[in-house]
Amino acid sequence: MHFDTKLKRNKRWLLTTALTIAAAVSFISVGPNHGPNSAIAAEAQSNGHGNGNGHGNNNDPADQVKTESPIKHVIILIGENRGLDHTFGIYKPKGRGETISNLLSKGIVNEDGTSGPNFKLSQQFAVSPQPAYYIGAPDNAKTPYSAGSLMPQPNTAGTPSAQSDTGAPFKSVAEASVETDISSDDTVLLTTGASGLPNNVTDTRIPNAGKIANGLFPLQGPNIDDDDYTGDTTHRYFTAFQQQDCSMANATKDNPTGCLNDLFPFVMDTYSASNKSEGNSMGFYNAEKGQASVLKKLADRFTLSDNFHQSVLGGTGANHFLLGTGDAGFWSDGKGHATVPPSSIANPTPKTGTVNQYTVDGNFTACGDTSQPGIQPIVSYLKALPYKVNVNCQPGHYYMVNNVNPGYLPNGALSGGTNLPPSPVRTIGDALMEKHITWAYYGGAYNDAVALSNAAVAANPTNPDLTAAALADPAHALGVAYCQICNPFQYATSIMADPKTRAEHVKDTSDLLTAIKNNTLPSVSFGKPDGLLDGHPQSSKVDLYEAYVQNILAALDANPRLKAETAVFVTWDEAGGYYDSGFIQPIDFFGDGPRIPLLIVSPYSTGGKINHTYADHASVLKFVERNWKLEPLTSRSRDNLPNPKARKDNAYIPANMPAIADLFDAFDFHGRPNNLTYAN
Amino acid sequence: MRVIKVSQKVPIKPCGLVGTGFLDDYRDIDVIRDFARAASLAAAFFGLAVLSMAARAQQFSADIVRTPTGVQAEAAAGKIYVSGNKVRIETPDVSDGYFVVDARVPHSYFVRPDQHVFMDSRQSSQLTQILVPVDLDNPCRQWQAMSIIAVANSPNGAWTCQRVGHSTVGGLDTIEYRASGPKAGVMRSWIDPRLKWPVRLIMADGTAVDLKNIQEQPQPASLFEIPPGYRKFDPKALLERIKQSDVWVDPQQ
Repeated sequence: MHFDTKLKRNKRWLLTTALTIAAAVSFISVGPNHGPNSAIAAEAQSNGHGNGNGHGNNNDPADQVKTESPIKHVIILIGENRGLDHTFGIYKPKGRGETISNLLSKGIVNEDGTSGPNFKLSQQFAVSPQPAYYIGAPDNAKTPYSAGSLMPQPNTAGTPSAQSDTGAPFKSVAEASVETDISSDDTVLLTTGASGLPNNVTDTRIPNAGKIANGLFPLQGPNIDDDDYTGDTTHRYFTAFQQQDCSMANATKDNPTGCLNDLFPFVMDTYSASNKSEGNSMGFYNAEKGQASVLKKLADRFTLSDNFHQSVLGGTGANHFLLGTGDAGFWSDGKGHATVPPSSIANPTPKTGTVNQYTVDGNFTACGDTSQPGIQPIVSYLKALPYKVNVNCQPGHYYMVNNVNPGYLPNGALSGGTNLPPSPVRTIGDALMEKHITWAYYGGAYNDAVALSNAAVAANPTNPDLTAAALADPAHALGVAYCQICNPFQYATSIMADPKTRAEHVKDTSDLLTAIKNNTLPSVSFGKPDGLLDGHPQSSKVDLYEAYVQNILAALDANPRLKAETAVFVTWDEAGGYYDSGFIQPIDFFGDGPRIPLLIVSPYSTGGKINHTYADHASVLKFVERNWKLEPLTSRSRDNLPNPKARKDNAYIPANMPAIADLFDAFDFHGRPNNLTYAN
Repeated sequence: MRVIKVSQKVPIKPCGLVGTGFLDDYRDIDVIRDFARAASLAAAFFGLAVLSMAARAQQFSADIVRTPTGVQAEAAAGKIYVSGNKVRIETPDVSDGYFVVDARVPHSYFVRPDQHVFMDSRQSSQLTQILVPVDLDNPCRQWQAMSIIAVANSPNGAWTCQRVGHSTVGGLDTIEYRASGPKAGVMRSWIDPRLKWPVRLIMADGTAVDLKNIQEQPQPASLFEIPPGYRKFDPKALLERIKQSDVWVDPQQ
């Protein structure tokens, strides 16, 4: 049975109304100290934000630290697996004179989600079998999908078929309230969105599914909305590069790196015998027709980047790792010396007799050696770019390009097995600690994960198994929803090996909310929802990540003094394998990848603006380093790159590639701060 | 010193002090059966009187106090309520619910009132496996039974108990046992012979667990019941959902 869309909309209306009322109460309760012309704002403005005297709260240690801007706190919230065109493909900026680069502005689709005059720009192709791995398919080997040869269709994959007593979507709000990291008003969202369809079949909730000839399709219709679980699409390093279809032979003035983004369904259909992603990568939401409504409202009132990129091609682990380090992890002896991993070395060379099935879909690659499988085509392409690229792969290093669990468990015990041995790569946490600047990583369900880790280690010290621990300890089972690979600091010996350091800097989402309430928020905070709320397709939904974000913003609304000096970056780890039409700037072997949304929410970034400056995850590091006066993390980390110099004829392509922004130009630190309520 | 070893397959007999377990035990006794017809009325009155006294004696509440190794100060570790074989444990270790145990069945559940769900408690708290009424001659029988349900009836090692002797704990005359269990390790236990309850434990890691402020009084039956309409939670489905996300990393890949 399909979910009743009307009922969903009513629920969303109730949710939005409730949040608005809550925000209004919050707004009223702070009285004259709040609002665009408030004393707090004026104080923050006149404070000079660098004299060390503090301004909003004398008990707040973060106020005592000199900063480049009035921002004394930054919170980086990271969702899962949504691209810019996938989420904001149909969005019209609200700021006066603002423009955006998306599916609608390019004429690829119309505002109602139907095919636009330039729909062909999103055309997808099949490729005839090739003898070796490629990232730029030969023109004569490509055939567009058509009515006579349909592209792979959207698939339910592992989408939940029905509600459950024990997993999302739950059968009742009461059962769903095991999840405490969202407002109780939003818990209902954890009960909705089951597909009513079996796993791994064509997703007939999607209009025209089974007959889609080629290109993009809206995830909107009588039987599907952004409150529904949908099939995932795989996104691993070698598949992602191949999907982009990059070759200098395709380069133009406005596409100087020659990536065509036209092999998305094809690669999903062919790289693996077991993968069922099929055509899911071509689905998109319509923000102008009520979808992703909370994100849209934030974009309407604050600032959205339409040129922010996932920093690594591929998945969750490598992207979060770079977010914390500006670099890639590598297999080592656990003491900092690079060694050869015992297994999972990637070999994307197609198996004989297959169209494109990889020989080994592995997690590590020795990209410093062009004789290794799959490396030469990528390095050759990077060397051919019209600017100098440092491949940045050291000899003898096997880099982690796909998801591998950290060498530490959440409780600091060694995890062993084939997990990445304890990492020596320097993190932003190390740099902040050296300067005595407070910071923390707040992970959803972290406390439960620690309990499971303790039990797992007690049960089997040499091979602790958190899954077995969850089955043995149902009261803490939610701990399996804590994302280990999302915490870049959980890989690091410098953070995890010392119990005191770990306890100070690795915490639960509930601690983030408490810190906001109690004025103990660190200068720099990373927030990651658990697996039920992270917005990941198939296991979560867009509106659940919205609910997580909204819960934190509501906490800030309730503490206007803190909010006045806090910037919130709302972003994602990667585009999740979804198609994106944006320009991509290759920086090194690992990335960049497609665009992902970045919302900049603060009193200094209001007005519904769109920021076009090229940026990626390392830009967050650059913002922190500039604001708190830190140096780049290492000599090879990506935060060494300069800020882009705008090309006069194209704001999206830096004139000085490779370059990434430090995000300061997404704020207006010279104007008056505007303490808009976040929940309106 | 007597050493008692308990097979992991030993079925747990009804405790025989309250409810049907008491009557079942007495039905097994030949002498009662032979004289039952003639003395049934008197025996029934007598039996009910004993039952009533025993039931009263085994209804109590107490504070659970924990003293970690090397620490002088004790810390509150929850509250226990007992009515015969039924036990309710509330502990800050898992603060969003409570455990209910029936040592006679045996079963052990964790109840989350806010979510209207209950679940097998399994190994969520070691207290549910140890704080149960015990047989004075062989407490390992009950601990063995509880450890088997804690591992969901999968293979498990045997518990062994060594009776050490009498000693006084908190003014109570107790029987001390040294016990060894497959997951608990070696622990020491002091059992109140009147309550037939462990009132002090020293766990394998040296942490002491004491029952203090024991209040013998009737306990409401509702304390030990799973409210009607509650659904049973099994973490398997949650795990399956999480396996669809990037949170999950396939150990084989």
